[in-house]
Amino acid sequence: MKPLDPRLLRYASAVRGFLAAGAALGAVQTFFTVAFAFLVSRAVVVVVDREPQRLPGYLVALAVTILCRSLLGWALEALAARTAVKVKSQLRSRVVEKVVSRGHAWLATRNSARLATLIGPGLDALDEYFAKYLPQLILTALATPLLVVVLFTQDVLSGVIVVVTLPLIPVFMILIGWTTRSAQARQWERLARLASSFLDAVNGLSTLKVFGRERRQIRRIGALTDDYRSSTMKVLQVSFLSGFALEMAASLSVALVAVAIGVRLVSGSLELPVGLFLLLLTPEAYLPLRQVGANYHAAADGIAAADDVFEVLADEAEGADTSVSRSSTVPAPAAARNRPAHDVLQLRDLSVSFGDDHVFGPVDLDFETGVLTAVAGRSGVGKSSLLGAVLGTVEAGGTLRWRSDSAAPSHDETAWSGQVPGLLSGTIASNVALGDDIDLDQVVDALTTAGGRDLDPGIELGAGGSGLSGGQAQRVALARALYRLARRPVRLLLVDEPTSALDLVTEQELVEGLRRIAARGVAVVVVTHRPGVLAGTDRVYRLEPTAAIETRQAVTA
Amino acid sequence: MSESILRTAQPPLSRSWRGLATGALGALSGIALLATSAYLITRAAEQPPILYLSIAIVSVRLFALTRAFFRYLERLTSHDAAFRQLAVVRTRLYRRLVRIAPAGLSRTSRGDLLTSVVSDVDALQDLPLRVVQPLVISALSSLLAVAGVFIVSPSGGVVLLVSLVVAFLVTSLVANALATQTERSLAQRRGALGAAVLDTLQNLDVLVAFDAIGAQLARVRSLDDDLRRASLRRASTSGLVAGLVSLLTGVTVIGTVWAGHSAIGHGLSGPEFALVALVPLAVFEVVGSVPVAVLAWRRVAASGARVEAAVPAELAAEIVVDEHDESDVRDDERQGSPAGRPAAPLEFGHPGDLAVRLRGLGARWPGAAHPALSAVDLDLRVGERLVLQGPSGVGKSTLASILVRFLDYSGSYEVAGYEARTLDPESVRATIGLLEQQPYLFDENVRQNLLFARDTATDADLEEILERVGLGEWLRERGGLDARLGERGHWCREGRPSVSRWRGLSCTASRCSCSMSPPPASTPTWQTNCFTTCC
Repeated sequence: MKPLDPRLLRYASAVRGFLAAGAALGAVQTFFTVAFAFLVSRAVVVVVDREPQRLPGYLVALAVTILCRSLLGWALEALAARTAVKVKSQLRSRVVEKVVSRGHAWLATRNSARLATLIGPGLDALDEYFAKYLPQLILTALATPLLVVVLFTQDVLSGVIVVVTLPLIPVFMILIGWTTRSAQARQWERLARLASSFLDAVNGLSTLKVFGRERRQIRRIGALTDDYRSSTMKVLQVSFLSGFALEMAASLSVALVAVAIGVRLVSGSLELPVGLFLLLLTPEAYLPLRQVGANYHAAADGIAAADDVFEVLADEAEGADTSVSRSSTVPAPAAARNRPAHDVLQLRDLSVSFGDDHVFGPVDLDFETGVLTAVAGRSGVGKSSLLGAVLGTVEAGGTLRWRSDSAAPSHDETAWSGQVPGLLSGTIASNVALGDDIDLDQVVDALTTAGGRDLDPGIELGAGGSGLSGGQAQRVALARALYRLARRPVRLLLVDEPTSALDLVTEQELVEGLRRIAARGVAVVVVTHRPGVLAGTDRVYRLEPTAAIETRQAVTA
Repeated sequence: MSESILRTAQPPLSRSWRGLATGALGALSGIALLATSAYLITRAAEQPPILYLSIAIVSVRLFALTRAFFRYLERLTSHDAAFRQLAVVRTRLYRRLVRIAPAGLSRTSRGDLLTSVVSDVDALQDLPLRVVQPLVISALSSLLAVAGVFIVSPSGGVVLLVSLVVAFLVTSLVANALATQTERSLAQRRGALGAAVLDTLQNLDVLVAFDAIGAQLARVRSLDDDLRRASLRRASTSGLVAGLVSLLTGVTVIGTVWAGHSAIGHGLSGPEFALVALVPLAVFEVVGSVPVAVLAWRRVAASGARVEAAVPAELAAEIVVDEHDESDVRDDERQGSPAGRPAAPLEFGHPGDLAVRLRGLGARWPGAAHPALSAVDLDLRVGERLVLQGPSGVGKSTLASILVRFLDYSGSYEVAGYEARTLDPESVRATIGLLEQQPYLFDENVRQNLLFARDTATDADLEEILERVGLGEWLRERGGLDARLGERGHWCREGRPSVSRWRGLSCTASRCSCSMSPPPASTPTWQTNCFTTCC
């Protein structure tokens, strides 16, 4: 970990102002630290020298110094906290924008829940970095040299002792860090594995119970955790040495300075006021560095979170930009285009690969308006990817255009309902009318056609659409596509596995509904396995890795 | 069993005393280092023969060494004790989960709930390390420091004691009050923003396809603005406690100097005065850890409360509890018998004999207003295959949960002639298997995921059974039984092979006599295969 990541300065402008203001505050605070040590030593000396009449003056000055020092310390931390708030907000909005601009295909290669955690609580780890670590880093760079200069002006020997021991701290820490780095990395890995194996045992508990294996896990969890303890302790024995070295250097040098002063006081080559002043000032020279060391791990968490964010921001891989030639000309707005009553969406040489993993293709398919087309095929052959290619969310090769005007289907003339319902928090009505105004009658119509007559549009859903059963969520998702169909000049409806959680009666109603929609001049494409759905369609393609075989031909007028 | 999980996180004194003792010694060494240094310097200024100073010189060097040394020992011993305790906490939690899973856990958000329980349990390690340890150490070392100062100068000792008590109280109360206010104003805003971000990321394709992404982003932005403004208002309070500690340190120094200056010459020597005046500087370094510990306590207590709420010790009546857990695991340990050996299945008799008999069977999920199932009569004979059909929500899965004794029932449910209620739930499950709607795949290789169902199976058995459910080719592609599945069967979601094939895989693991909802997205051939294999 670098002490201060330059990318932080680049992506979060709030940091720059903080560094400048922090340095100014730190310099003033150092002045008061020196003043504090000076005044305390003078106050003690006047009492020891039996000059009590001078004491009140020193104590008043001391009180003012203490007040200023405390206020400055507070100001520095409050400033750090404000900076943390601003930086988090800046990084958060940048990363959300970036992810959205990359699109779904890019996001699909990542764990979206993890990313959301990173953007939320993950970035909160930066609080510690700003509150505890960065101010101390500034003070180390600023206050420590100033204090060393003050020490030298008072007593060269004490200055030399501090200058010699100070660099030992980072040197030791780096050396110990090096020797334990690989062991620590292994240990982190082990910790992650342990945590995930515990989580695994907890999540799979019902499966374990079904097979009567739950009890064996209790013993296993205890044993694994204890194994982890003994191996961790071996690593900690070494890595705690860095803290040991730090404490040792700081306290030993205080002892060295104290003894050296004492000996010279006896011989009369040094005065008591100077001696006490040096004694109080010496630990202050080590304090910022000790704090940096103590808060290193808390700061490292924040930096790790920021690193993940920077990685997202810097990842220049292109996402949704597909190589399929979606249209030969710039598509005119759908409404203005002259649209024939009957048209065919022609997919030619369409193929999809994820990296080196060939999914399917090249295949040719025709999606005709007025026709209910089914795409079947064994699980995993790429049926959903085919819909993704038509939608433009999956990178694909080949061409895709309407026969009438050689244009790719525009966004406005397409409605889609995916395999995963993808509902948002809010009412059912607001989910159905997503991206549009809510017309309650049309919402109810859409729900009815989708087989969700019994769903109250006013029901409030939680995050991720929680609160509905799988089948209900599926029907709401379908109603959402149908609502769009009713509100816009849609002539292509793509539906992915609409009935996987429905009973047979509802399924038949749904197929009837889709047929009626097709009859209105819409090309309806449904991905399905279910015999009941296949029987109700006009044309069936069976998708295979290298071909799309038309198993039933449409009879068109 | 009713002992709270939070309570178990603190190691017993027999294990934690080493960390506490070494910690207190380390803190005292730090205080003594400054005290003896101040004494040494002031005494030296009186220019006595150097011999008079040798004890002070040796003490200064000794305390410098012991401070670092005890600090190191403290960290090692306290971490060791905390890690040992983690094993206790985890097994304790797991036992509780085993008793009540899955019906006793919230049905809606099970996955997320468990993930958060697991991380909350890990957070309980902070109780010994960041709460008890610093509090005990600062209390012990400050009291001893006060006693030491009192011997030298009674008035100085009193001043120090009073200011320490004030400092302990004020800083922890202020820290606690500030944290409460911050939480009150921020927690809800954070939650709202987090939910909006998660909605945006998980449904990005939907939001784009329905032209709703602009509105959603605007919503995220406004929630972010709201949170930022509220956080900025709270930011000025951070550092307030540290400032207070610094202020109180200074005030105490002024107080002890003032208290000591009148006593000097009357029983208090100059060097002793210097010691009394400067010791507060070192003692207050210890006080600084108190408000931090208070904040850590808040977090730990919240984690503990969440665990208690998610995995309650007291249960709703509808849940079947496996009662014989703790004592009997301990018996296992004592006798050294192989733990976790599945209970013996009941004997079913010959084809045509009655295997399962239900009369007036009903059930209700915990907290539900209406029964999920009522008045079910059913006979199932050995060798019979039975298909249950019905619209979603009618209670098919509920019946399966009753049959494997996850959920309790009313009426009568006889298995092999015995009333199920009177049997050990485990032996019922040993008799009646279940292919769950969403079987869990463990982060292990293919072999381990199958073997845990029948650990006597050979590789050839496993390969043959995979072949029968149509996964033979897939297995060869993936490199055989040693292929790992990844977290929650993670890489089987890469598109191919789809989840449904994995359900097939789990089916092969089952010796099931009862199988639930054939995977919806699978092909009819596969369903037939599976059914034949299982039944």
